[in-house]
Amino acid sequence: MTLQTSHILRDYMRPETLPTTWCAGCGLGIIMRSIVEAIHYQGLKKDDVAMVSGIGCTGRMSGYTDFNSIHTTHGRAPAFATGLKLARPDMQVITIMGDGDAMSIGGNHLISAMRRNMDITAIVVNNSIYGLTGGQSSPTTPMDSRTTTARHRTFERPMNLEVLARAGGAPFFARATVNHTASLTKLIERALNISGFALVEIISNCHVLYGKMNEQPVASGMIANMDKETMRSNPLLKKRASYPVRETATGKTYLRDSNSDAAQSSVAADTKDRGVIFENKGSVGFSRRYFSMLENIRAQKEHAGRPDD
Amino acid sequence: MTEIRHGVFDIRIDKNYCKACGLCVAWCPQDVLAEDEELYPITPGLQNCINCKLCELHCPDFAIEILPPEHPEHSKYKEAN
Repeated sequence: MTLQTSHILRDYMRPETLPTTWCAGCGLGIIMRSIVEAIHYQGLKKDDVAMVSGIGCTGRMSGYTDFNSIHTTHGRAPAFATGLKLARPDMQVITIMGDGDAMSIGGNHLISAMRRNMDITAIVVNNSIYGLTGGQSSPTTPMDSRTTTARHRTFERPMNLEVLARAGGAPFFARATVNHTASLTKLIERALNISGFALVEIISNCHVLYGKMNEQPVASGMIANMDKETMRSNPLLKKRASYPVRETATGKTYLRDSNSDAAQSSVAADTKDRGVIFENKGSVGFSRRYFSMLENIRAQKEHAGRPDD
Repeated sequence: MTEIRHGVFDIRIDKNYCKACGLCVAWCPQDVLAEDEELYPITPGLQNCINCKLCELHCPDFAIEILPPEHPEHSKYKEAN
């Protein structure tokens, strides 16, 4: 790859809006970079992509990127995206939502969009907290964590978006963290090619409000901890998380012995699909079914000799 | 396996965009980057850079950029042409 990453980004951003208003070290910048890279590697033009965002820290992302953008009301991003997709079926619609935006106030809209299997790539950024309004508990706040509205630790169970996506009928669900930037880009690329509702949950960090009250006040420490948090779904990451962060001192080789048994077995394990929790092959999106139904109705009317009544 | 080249890469840090979050310094595997007194990244170990781009990929503010010698804005490329 000869093209440098930052050169890609400059073409897809609105430079007058940068630098972003997000806190220093916030993972939303990494997510925005991954989305832009995925769109670039898929060869999509800027005018063929629409980004719909709700309210929250994530809502600003549609303003920073130079696509067709709608900044909608709280939680209603899938509803606006449904209308946009029906009006312009040729357009690639991406909705970007936070966890409170998608699962709390916009839960019904998210479920309805899944049920209809709308052709939307929905990206849900899960930072375990309401970040914009000051760190209140959100539906995904883990148990026994402190927030500004749960000073004596949360006792409610967090919502599991994976189970909701299975029940709602989404054909694709993937989960990634902001630590694994390359796999994040690949997952978004894959989600863009799904016919139907592709849901990508991205675990992000809010070290300013969530981490400060939960002994993770530094951005790098909180992002590095995500390796340990995601190990349940990925045994390979569990193995990597047990390695020290820096293996050798400066100037020495940093590559491990690639012929050792451990390295070979980890390469063999690496061929598995990582991050994709489930995918239903052969899903047909809403707009394709809808427009073919309209064609059928029109053909039947013409057959009956009553065109366009 | 790809050959690892040391010390031929330029690192460009845009201080207008940088928010001094420290992610690039934390992720650098070769101790190329360090923090100055205002916590902005500096490059005291530029000769060790191997172009892994972890700093560039983890920068949330698009402030850091690794330039290979083939790049037209690299200092050696400018000298040669």
